Amino acid sequence: MPVLWIVLAVFGLGLIGYFVGRLRALGSAGGDARTLHSLPSYYGWHAFMLTVAPALLVLAAWSLLAPNLIDRSVSETIPEATIADASNASLVLAEVRRAAGALDAAVAQGLVDQETSRNLHTESTDVTALLKETGSVITSAVTQPILQAAQEFRALTKRSNLYRTITTFALALIGFGFAIKRTHKDFRARNVVENGIMVILVLASSIAILTTVGIVLSMLFETSHFFGLYSWREFFLGTKWSPDFRGDSQLGILPLLWGTLYISLVALLVAVPIGLFAAIYLSEYAGPRLRAVAKPMIEILAGIPTIVYGLFALITIGPMIRDWIAQPLGLGNSSNSVMTAGLVMGVMLIPFVSSLSDDIINAVPQAMRDGSFGLGATHSETIKQVVLPAALPGIVGAILLAASRAIGETMIVVMGAGAAAAQMDQGLGEIINPFQAMTTVTVKIVSQLTGDTDFASPETLVAFALGLSLFVITLGLNVLALYIVRKYREQYE
Amino acid sequence: MSLFKLTASTVAIAAVSATAAIARDNVQVAGSSTVLPYASIVAEAFGENFDFPTPVVESGGSSAGLKRFCEGVGENTIDVANASRKIKETEIAACADAGVTDIIEVRIGYDGIVFASDIDGNGFEFTPIQWYKALSDKVVVDGALVDNPYTKWNEVDAALPDQEIAAFIPGTKHGTREVFEDQVILAGCEASGDFDVFKAANGDDTKAAEKACISIRTDGVSTDIDGDYTETLARIESNKDGIGVFGLAFYENNTDKLQVATMSGVVPSTESIATGDYPVSRPLYFYVKRAHVGVIPGLQDYASFFVADEIAGPDGPLAAYGLVSDPELAATQLIVEELKPMSEGM
Amino acid sequence: MTDATSNGPTARAKKEHGSLLVQDALTKRRNASERRFRAYGLTAIGIGVAALILLLTSILSQGLPAFQQTFVTLDVVLDEAKLDKKGNRNIDEIKKVTTFGYAPLIKNGLKSRMEELNISIDGLSDKDAGGIISKEAAGQLRRYVIANPDEIGNSVEFRFLANGRIDGYYKGRVTMQSAERDNNVSPQQLQLADALKDGGALVTRFNWDFITKADASENRPEAAGIGVAIIGSLYMMMIVLVLALPIGVAASIYLEEFAPQNWFTDLIEVNISNLAAVPSIVYGILGLAIFINYGGLPQSAPIVGGLVLTLMTLPTIIIATRASLKSVPPSIRAAALGVGASRMQSVFHHVLPLAMPGILTGTIIGLAQALGETAPLMLIGMVAFVRDFPSAPPEGFFDPASALPVQVYNWTTRADPAFVERASGAIIVLLMFLLCMNMIAIILRRRFERRW
Repeated sequence: MPVLWIVLAVFGLGLIGYFVGRLRALGSAGGDARTLHSLPSYYGWHAFMLTVAPALLVLAAWSLLAPNLIDRSVSETIPEATIADASNASLVLAEVRRAAGALDAAVAQGLVDQETSRNLHTESTDVTALLKETGSVITSAVTQPILQAAQEFRALTKRSNLYRTITTFALALIGFGFAIKRTHKDFRARNVVENGIMVILVLASSIAILTTVGIVLSMLFETSHFFGLYSWREFFLGTKWSPDFRGDSQLGILPLLWGTLYISLVALLVAVPIGLFAAIYLSEYAGPRLRAVAKPMIEILAGIPTIVYGLFALITIGPMIRDWIAQPLGLGNSSNSVMTAGLVMGVMLIPFVSSLSDDIINAVPQAMRDGSFGLGATHSETIKQVVLPAALPGIVGAILLAASRAIGETMIVVMGAGAAAAQMDQGLGEIINPFQAMTTVTVKIVSQLTGDTDFASPETLVAFALGLSLFVITLGLNVLALYIVRKYREQYE
Repeated sequence: MSLFKLTASTVAIAAVSATAAIARDNVQVAGSSTVLPYASIVAEAFGENFDFPTPVVESGGSSAGLKRFCEGVGENTIDVANASRKIKETEIAACADAGVTDIIEVRIGYDGIVFASDIDGNGFEFTPIQWYKALSDKVVVDGALVDNPYTKWNEVDAALPDQEIAAFIPGTKHGTREVFEDQVILAGCEASGDFDVFKAANGDDTKAAEKACISIRTDGVSTDIDGDYTETLARIESNKDGIGVFGLAFYENNTDKLQVATMSGVVPSTESIATGDYPVSRPLYFYVKRAHVGVIPGLQDYASFFVADEIAGPDGPLAAYGLVSDPELAATQLIVEELKPMSEGM
Repeated sequence: MTDATSNGPTARAKKEHGSLLVQDALTKRRNASERRFRAYGLTAIGIGVAALILLLTSILSQGLPAFQQTFVTLDVVLDEAKLDKKGNRNIDEIKKVTTFGYAPLIKNGLKSRMEELNISIDGLSDKDAGGIISKEAAGQLRRYVIANPDEIGNSVEFRFLANGRIDGYYKGRVTMQSAERDNNVSPQQLQLADALKDGGALVTRFNWDFITKADASENRPEAAGIGVAIIGSLYMMMIVLVLALPIGVAASIYLEEFAPQNWFTDLIEVNISNLAAVPSIVYGILGLAIFINYGGLPQSAPIVGGLVLTLMTLPTIIIATRASLKSVPPSIRAAALGVGASRMQSVFHHVLPLAMPGILTGTIIGLAQALGETAPLMLIGMVAFVRDFPSAPPEGFFDPASALPVQVYNWTTRADPAFVERASGAIIVLLMFLLCMNMIAIILRRRFERRW
């Protein structure tokens, strides 16, 4: 039975459980819902939950594990020699799976019947030709060991599927029966259902931790590899970034970190005031017409591919800043600058600040405004003194989100601020000059990973070390932010 | 609560179908973005002319391609890695550790590297010495090493036009950068005789002297490009004085916007590079996992088709696009035909 | 007010002097500041909208031509001597003729059309004349012949794509002047195209193929389409929406409404805001390590892309959802609890609906980000040249596919300038996607938005 059908059938059973559970609860209360512990629908959900959840969990576990077990037992039946020929067991298995699929197709198309397909032999029949006839892709001639393994594979898969179906339905029925039996007017169905939902909620939040663990694990190995090849002291304290194909690269993280901070700062200086004022205007002053048009329009800014912004920075903003500001002031003549990237990135970040802040300002209770108006404050005074402080935690969240996005951006930085790291050894003046070319950690992670350098060399592996360091640094900043937000969080009402 | 039902069912369906063990039936290629255009031209023609599905060709750089190539053997690893450089010893070792042995190396031709400027600007006739003098961090003036003082081309060499030096060279991630440093800057450094001064300054250490020669100035005269040639072109369009480093194929497609500079008096073209007259070029390769041949449908056909005369030959579509075809193509075809792994093939 | 206030009796006395109709200095200042404040807000919106209009104009002006394409209509004689030498219409024999064998037929077709229209152009070789037809034409012809082997020997009318440069000539990208310097097109070819146009054999018309066909190689920009990319993006968005929205909302509800203040909650909270700052390519590293190498999922598949983008989008959705849950006034919860609802009921029946506009905003921003992201797809094999269409879901989730931003990125790196226009065309389609999502969000937001 195909998985989809099993799932649907289990859901069908769950649905029946819902109605039966509901009716039974009502019945036990003599049709008077008031004497039930919970609302009738909770009894229904309780039955649904017990029917569906264990059955589907087992189904999922079975479907995940069974193929591995089948693969293992099939590969044991394949002679060593066959595996040695193809040099790898997983490739032989792929071939076996393909042959098995072709056999199934042959049966389905009526080329052979079920019985013959089980007893095919390469010496008596031209199996390869037969299987090719089904339109399946068979790469080489099917040999007897492969055919045998394929038949074994089919048999095992069939048996596994049968047991899977039986187990799933048995579990569903047991759950169903247990739930119905438990259903009684004094039974606390709501608590059980709510506990079930709580489990789902906790699981959903744990995904964040799992992701973090996954990220750390997937980078940790290569990072340790990197520090085996390159001194950590030079990496963390080095002030020069110049990778070299010949080795002997100087891979200091500091110039990249500085670039990241500087460019993000400029971007936020653009995005936060504009975004915040836009949000305030939209939520406090604008009529519904303007709001309905302007808000989605600004949100589109977040969806324009960053390459468009990048080209805009490269072709328009970069030369403009160079010719009108940097050169007249004698601050450099590079069309790549922190300013260019920051300005353009700031525009991209506007919706991150404005849209979220708008929703949050909108949610500040009207009573607070009315109170302020009642005391004679003007609209802007109300906003500054009452609404913004009330909305502050949410606004900080929005700004943090924008900052996160700024740190992670690559295309705008590459085209706006260039790919050369900050020249830290040339003195403070060069470092803080916003009209100098600089680059960020993220840009270098991408470029070292997608470059042409030897993948086992420190020049490529440094990408993982950069990624992990950035991860740890932002983690630190976030702990700090959490602390600050918590300290200043106020609840109004 | 319907949200949760939806999630639960989707997760279940996703998890279940994930293990449906679908055998892969297309060739999977990854690697260098320089080889990508050629590989996609071949893949397209392959899909048109064979009953196999069109191979999937990924870009992402030689390094990432070879890394995934060396991830192991099996269906969820790639079959072919494109590279704009030869595979390194360390990489072969890493491959072997993961069980990837018997790698077939196929050289498909050469990539010419050219210098081009805006079509309406001055024309240039370069020598490596001029590039070295224009871009090296330190140059020799009156026998002494000094910070590079040149800001105009005619200061470097009176024969060049009076134009600001603004070079757009490939960033350190690109393999082209290595070729540029070795075959242009270092060659210029040695040809100008300055190399000995560097050597003396570095205590007779040849390696340190080479490194000093090729370290590029960081005062904004030269700009590293980590993006693609399209970015270099856009930069030249916004700065008409700029001179960029391009692949020959890219220049060939944009002859209405760019004019190419000669190097040591030779105009770059597929012919002059094939004969070796034009000095700046690099070989392009792809690597095939022998273990996948015969298992992944169409893999060997794809490899043979790639190096066939009608594709990779001097009159084929690859050459028309700008690939410098390999004069020793017949030897390569033999390697592919016999599936000769590297150790034996070399 | 009492006399003890800071204003004091004098200030108060002063105020009493003035008429209500005459503004005093303080009121004037306050009103001015009010006006300034409004002006700032309006300016901010103006800047945002202006930036949008500027970007959209540049995209539209570059991308709209991608929806038009130039075609050449030719009668091609399907020569039996070339296509089926034995004449037995055996399909395997016919398949042996490669596209290289079909190219001459097209050239002959063009020649006869030129004779028919009395076109002769000085200095135009046969090879160059054939060059005005796309290289895609041979493949098109071969597919037709293999599908209809009985037509061999007949003369059939085909509509072929014109070469990208010829197409560019009618879109203003190529001019007679630029053609002189261009190695890939000559003024004579443009003259031929003009003559064909006068004869009615060459037309420029709306190009559905751009939306429905797959990508093409660098040799034939005119044939490149975004069909596979649209499907890939659609599949991935389906996965992201179905996974990220419920998981994100569930996680936010737990953290905001139920989680006790303890180290575990803090850990989750810090993790989520940190994950939002992780560069997107790192999610690609994760996807390659976990889903492909460990989980054994296929490469270049929308399922892996969807999962990676889900993980990437989750923090954005969670942060936005939490912010909007936070802003629901506690009195709503208190009232629900007061009439006997459980905490769970108060959240699902009252708090969640009120927080919906914010949740939708967060989801839209998150999806927009996921829709436009290229870097994480790089390492899981989706930044690729994919010609074959994935099948219908759920199997299609496991077939190789591309994605819209990937197509845009790929095209912007290609040498032929014709791809610039197609990249902008793809961006227009991407924005259409976004607009549709925004529309849905607006409609939903209208239903939920309220102020209390």
